[in-house]
Amino acid sequence: MNAARGTILVVEDEPEIRRFLRSSLGAEGYRVVESATGRRGAIDAGSHKPDLAIIDLGLPDMDGVEIIRRIREWSSMPILVLSARTHERSKIEALDAGADDYVTKPFGIGELFARVRAAMRHRVRPARGGMALRLGETTVDLEARRVIRAGAEVRLTPIELKILGCLAHHLGMVVTHRTLLAEVWGPGHEGDTHYLRIYLKQLREKLEADPVRPRHLLTETGVGYRLVADD
Amino acid sequence: MSPHPPWIGYAWAAAATVLCTLAGFAMTPRFDLVNVAMVYLLAVVVIALRFSLGAAIATSLASVALFDYCFVPPQGAFSVDDAQYLLTFAIMVAVAIVISGLTRNVRDQARAQAALEVEAETERIRSALLASISHDLRTPLAVMSGASSSLAEHGDQLEEAQRRELARSVYEQAREMAERVSKVLQMTRLESGGMTLSRDWVSLPELAATVLDRLSERLSGHRLMVEWPQDLPLVNVDAVLLEQVLVNLLDNAAKHTAPGTVVRLRAQVRNSDIVVSVEDFGHGIPEADVERVFAKFHRGNTAGTAGGMGLGLAIARAIVRLHKGEAWAEKMPGGGTAFRFTLPRETSPAMPAEPVEA
Repeated sequence: MNAARGTILVVEDEPEIRRFLRSSLGAEGYRVVESATGRRGAIDAGSHKPDLAIIDLGLPDMDGVEIIRRIREWSSMPILVLSARTHERSKIEALDAGADDYVTKPFGIGELFARVRAAMRHRVRPARGGMALRLGETTVDLEARRVIRAGAEVRLTPIELKILGCLAHHLGMVVTHRTLLAEVWGPGHEGDTHYLRIYLKQLREKLEADPVRPRHLLTETGVGYRLVADD
Repeated sequence: MSPHPPWIGYAWAAAATVLCTLAGFAMTPRFDLVNVAMVYLLAVVVIALRFSLGAAIATSLASVALFDYCFVPPQGAFSVDDAQYLLTFAIMVAVAIVISGLTRNVRDQARAQAALEVEAETERIRSALLASISHDLRTPLAVMSGASSSLAEHGDQLEEAQRRELARSVYEQAREMAERVSKVLQMTRLESGGMTLSRDWVSLPELAATVLDRLSERLSGHRLMVEWPQDLPLVNVDAVLLEQVLVNLLDNAAKHTAPGTVVRLRAQVRNSDIVVSVEDFGHGIPEADVERVFAKFHRGNTAGTAGGMGLGLAIARAIVRLHKGEAWAEKMPGGGTAFRFTLPRETSPAMPAEPVEA
C-alpha cells in the first residue's frame, strides 16, 4: 500500500467503522491514520499533518465541532464530518466551524470517495480559475461570464452569476444557505433562504436539462446547495 | 373533576333559579303551586347532572327561598308557617345528592373505560412493535450474517459475480435495517412531543427533487408523474421533516403497487392551504382501511412480502400535524389510492427585485 494519493486522518470512536474506513480508503491508495478519541485526533492532526481529516460528530469525549475549531486555528486541511441523518443542526454547526463537507451515516463508500476527492481537489486547485465547467449540455465559463447551452448563449443575471460562482468555488462540496446568502446578498441576509429558493429555480431552468430532476445544482435539504460538474 | 372551574356551576345555579322564578310568574295564574315547585326541582336535577354537588345544593336552597318568597302566600315575605318548606328543601337536597352521585359513577366508569382502552392500545402497539422487530429486523440480520460469513470464510472459493452478489445483499439489507431503526426512533421522538420544528421557506418541487433522487432505485420500476402548478408558493416548514413525509408516501406507493403502474406526485393550491398528493393506480385499498392506513403499525395485506413496519404513514401524519396540516387517504375513481396532506398556505416575505439585465 503506497501513500500516493495522500494521508487521511480518521477520528472515530467506533472500531468497526474505523476498520471499514481503513480497508476501503487503503484500497483506494490512501494512507490512513486512526484516532479513537477526539483528544487524540486533535493531536494526530498536528503530528501527522494529514492531507484530509474525516471526523465523526458523535465522539464521546469531545464535541466534533470543537476539534474542527482547534484544527482550523492552524490548518486549512480539508475536513469531512460524519453525521447521522436528521442532525442537520450539528452538520451546519460543523460547516460553520470550518468543516468542508459532510457524509451522512449510513453511507455508501462511493459517496464518501466522491466527497474525499472533491475536498482534495479544492485544496489543490481552489478557484478553478479559467476552467470551464461542464454541466451536461451546458458549459459555464465563469471568468468570461459566459454560459453556453446546446450551442446557444444563456443570459444569467448578476446575482445568478454570483450564486453560480460561489457554488463553483466549492465545486462538488456543499455550501450552506448562510454562506451563499452572505456572499451574494451581503451580511444581514443570512436568514433569507427564500431568495435562494427563487434564484436556484431560475438557475435550474436555465442550466439543467430537466429542472424537475436536477443533476448538477443539487439541494442538500436543510443545509444548503452543491454544484456537481461532469469530470 | 369536572373540566370547568367551580364558580361556573354556581353561576348556572343562580341563572337557573332566576329562570325558574320567571317561569313560575308566568305559570301562577293558571297552575298550582306544586307545579311551580316541580319546575324548581327540574333545575336542581339539571344542575346536579352537569355540575358539582355544591352547586346543586345551592340551587336547592335558592329555589326554596325564592319559591317561598315569591309564590307562597303571603307573597313578598317569609312567614312562620313556611317551616314546612324545610321539608321541600330537604327533598331537593336529597335529589341533588342522588343525582350527583349517579353522575359521578357514570363519569368514573367512562374514565376507567378510557384508561382501559389506552392500556389495551399501548399493549397492542407494544406487541406489534415486538412482532415487527422480530420479523423485520431478524430477517435482514439473518441474511447479513449468512452472506457475510460466506464472504469471510469461503470468499476465495467464490466466483467474482457471487462475491459481489453476496456483498450487495449485505449492503441492501443493512440500509433497509438502518431505515427501519430510524423510523422507530423518529416515531418515538414525534410521540414524546419533544420535536421542535426548524422552519424555513422551502420550495416543494425542489424538496421533491431530492426525494425522487433518494428514491430513484425504489421507484425505478414505476412510471412517475410530477405535476406542480405554476402559482405554487413557497411553504414555511421544517425541510428535513417534510422531506421525510414525501419519502414515506412515495415509498409506500412504490411498495404497495405493481411495477409499471403510474405514481403521480402533485400539488393543488387552495384558499388557505396547499394539498400535496401521492396518487397510485394500484388495486386500491379496502373501504374499511381507508380510515386506518395512517394508524401506527397498520400494514396493507401485502405487508408480508413488502416488509416495513407500518410506521411510515403514521410518521408522515404526525409530521404533517406538527405543521398544522392534515393527512388522509381516499379511493381514486377507477381504482388506486390517493394519499394527501395539507400545509397552511402562507405568503413568503418579499424579495428585492433585481434590475433587469441590459
